[in-house]
Amino acid sequence: MESLKVQDITKDFDGKLALDGVSFDVYPGEFLSILGPSGCGKTTLLRILIGLLEPTAGRIYLDGKDITHAPPDRRSMGIVFQNYALFENMTVLRNVEYALKLKKETRGTARETAMKMIEMVGLSEHVEKKPAQLSGGQMQRVAIARTLALSPDIILFDEPMSALDVATRLALRRELKKIQKTTGTTMIYITHDQEEAFALSDRIMVMNAATIHQLDTPEDILKNPADDYVRDFVIENLAEKTASLLKYNIVRTQ
Amino acid sequence: MKKRNCSITKIFLALFFLVSVVLPLLFMFAGLFSIDVGEILRDASFLTAVLHSLQVSATATVLSVVLAFLLAWCLTRTRVKLKGFFSAVLLLPMLIPSISHGMGLIILFGQNGQLTKFLGLDGSIYGFWGIVAGSMMYSLPVAYLMIADILRYEDSTPYEAASVLGIPRRSQFFSITLPYMRKPMISVLFATFTLIVTDYGVPAMVGGKYNTLPLMMYNEVIGRLDFAKGSVIGMVLLVPAVIAFIFDFVSKDTRAAGFVNRPFSIKKSPVRDAFAYFLLVAASIVIIYPIVTFVGLTFNKNYPSDMTFTLDNIQSTMNKGAGEFLLNSLIIALAVALIGTALAFACAYLTARVKGLSSKILHLISILSLAIPGIVLGLSYVLFFKGSLIYGTLMILILVNTVHFFASPYLMIYNSLGKLNMHLEDVGRTLGIGRGRLVRDVIVPQSGGTLVEMFTYFFVNSMITISAVSFLATTLTKPLSLMITQFQQQMLLEASAFVSLLILVANLLMKAISYIVRKIILGKGMNRYARKETV
Repeated sequence: MESLKVQDITKDFDGKLALDGVSFDVYPGEFLSILGPSGCGKTTLLRILIGLLEPTAGRIYLDGKDITHAPPDRRSMGIVFQNYALFENMTVLRNVEYALKLKKETRGTARETAMKMIEMVGLSEHVEKKPAQLSGGQMQRVAIARTLALSPDIILFDEPMSALDVATRLALRRELKKIQKTTGTTMIYITHDQEEAFALSDRIMVMNAATIHQLDTPEDILKNPADDYVRDFVIENLAEKTASLLKYNIVRTQ
Repeated sequence: MKKRNCSITKIFLALFFLVSVVLPLLFMFAGLFSIDVGEILRDASFLTAVLHSLQVSATATVLSVVLAFLLAWCLTRTRVKLKGFFSAVLLLPMLIPSISHGMGLIILFGQNGQLTKFLGLDGSIYGFWGIVAGSMMYSLPVAYLMIADILRYEDSTPYEAASVLGIPRRSQFFSITLPYMRKPMISVLFATFTLIVTDYGVPAMVGGKYNTLPLMMYNEVIGRLDFAKGSVIGMVLLVPAVIAFIFDFVSKDTRAAGFVNRPFSIKKSPVRDAFAYFLLVAASIVIIYPIVTFVGLTFNKNYPSDMTFTLDNIQSTMNKGAGEFLLNSLIIALAVALIGTALAFACAYLTARVKGLSSKILHLISILSLAIPGIVLGLSYVLFFKGSLIYGTLMILILVNTVHFFASPYLMIYNSLGKLNMHLEDVGRTLGIGRGRLVRDVIVPQSGGTLVEMFTYFFVNSMITISAVSFLATTLTKPLSLMITQFQQQMLLEASAFVSLLILVANLLMKAISYIVRKIILGKGMNRYARKETV
């Protein structure tokens, strides 16, 4: 049984189609990557999923309930942006507990929950620091903890690692997988990096020019690319990257 | 704050600008249809005033900008020490009314001036050169600030590249410096010219028989109550400001935000530095000397011949009501600072962080006051608000100053809000944090430093202004700055010196408080500007 059902979503920006009848399902607990070049409509799709944008047409269901027009904070979803969007005037702890303290149901346990989340992303030593005193990787961890604190069913990631260096990216990747295992949260992850998509995902959705080209497991995409675009954009690029590593014996073929 | 609340705020702000800017000006325009404008324009005295205004303003503008450029260059491209001190001294003239600069000239170079006797001059400061000198004094800090900014943000990498390629220094100047400086320098010229051509404080003091447009306008309105003629002159005075505004608007800097430029590495050059020291010290003396004279006149029996310390001058000035007028000024300045900062923040929040066509329109209206000289705005208020409830009260003075000084602080906060993370509101919405809450808990705390700067700007300018308020103040609501004219006409030099000093001290205090508050705010470890670009 799917948890999120996206049906015929279309988005028209003054006559320009950003999304052209996009449909797909997301299963509970899965890690789904949306892979595509810039301008393919993936960020628009993400903003529609969480309710920051209204679709021109189409419907979205969460556990069978129509949430197409529900406000962003009533969808049990969270979002992590590429540029962190932290509250710079607040400490790490305040960043994570702030939203909890505003809600009656979570006010009492806000501090406790926040500390737990901060521990989960490995920042317990930094609770009293302000964002300006943290590295990029640490700031993104705070953003993840802040989102996790409201225990959403689904977390959306909008190219969260594009601004980070390679080493930080690899570390954060491992952590993200670990967090997903512990919390069982469904994750939808936008990226333009083929290698990242293949390393992280249970399934990958390849997008271009406002449409979905293929939605499959990484293995199936490699074995049976749906069309020339998938072959060129995904497999060729990936092969080139791997080839350069093979050339210098950095990774060995088995 | 929901979307609907944003629209309500927008409508409220639009109404505010409609009543406080658009309608008064239109009303003044409309009045011109019922009179013979041609007759006034052909009038010989009017044409003389136009010619005088153009001559004196053009001369003062060129001299002021050249001098400001040299001084800014000394403080950005040499190795002189005490740059902070010199920069602060150069900005001092901004803290006293333009009319005080004129008075300083009279005290020093007038018929019985101290330096006139000492140097054996003939006391011919009145007229063309007097206005030029006073206007330079008054406009120098503004021109200096703008040029220092241009020089500070010039990128050094093109010069390094040119040097590597073996391009000689002189060609570098023509191929790199000039193209970079051209547009911003034209803006500086326009802004300085507008400032000088619309000022009546300096010509009122040292103009003598040399009539200029603002002076003529002031005399027609205050002296002869000829509002029609005043309006015509007002319209003419709008022209340079509108041209400057349009030029700035179309040549807006389109360089991407977050552009990182490398500062210049300044080579060792004792000759250059000696020249810079000479220039800076000379400028500082010229700026500080009149202020020292004000102190001398205030606290001595008969400065400079009888240096006996006395408080009699202060006593007699206070007896003439300086205390009440100071209170008026402080009430006006604080109210303008509070209301202006709040309004400018609300406007800038909507234009910088809520998208849409109405935001663009609101932005344009917000910076429109840059194109309206204070003296013109003041006259339009006389015509439009006459007979209304606020006419003749402190309220109208607060309103006119808020509108008059709105654009600069608005742009300060507009730029600083534009630099905040664009996703903050999105994050707020997904976390269930309302817009109002987000503004209060996140946006305002992060804009603290800018808000303090805006408050200070409104305060200082309301303390020194004489233009917009001159037509609107009554004997009861008169601010302190307007007393200087009155005292000077009565030849009470000591009293006007003391009043100028009072204004200077109030502004220095405000500046000091602002400096300390900003230090405290930025010291709290939230200095996002200090963070490096690396992630």
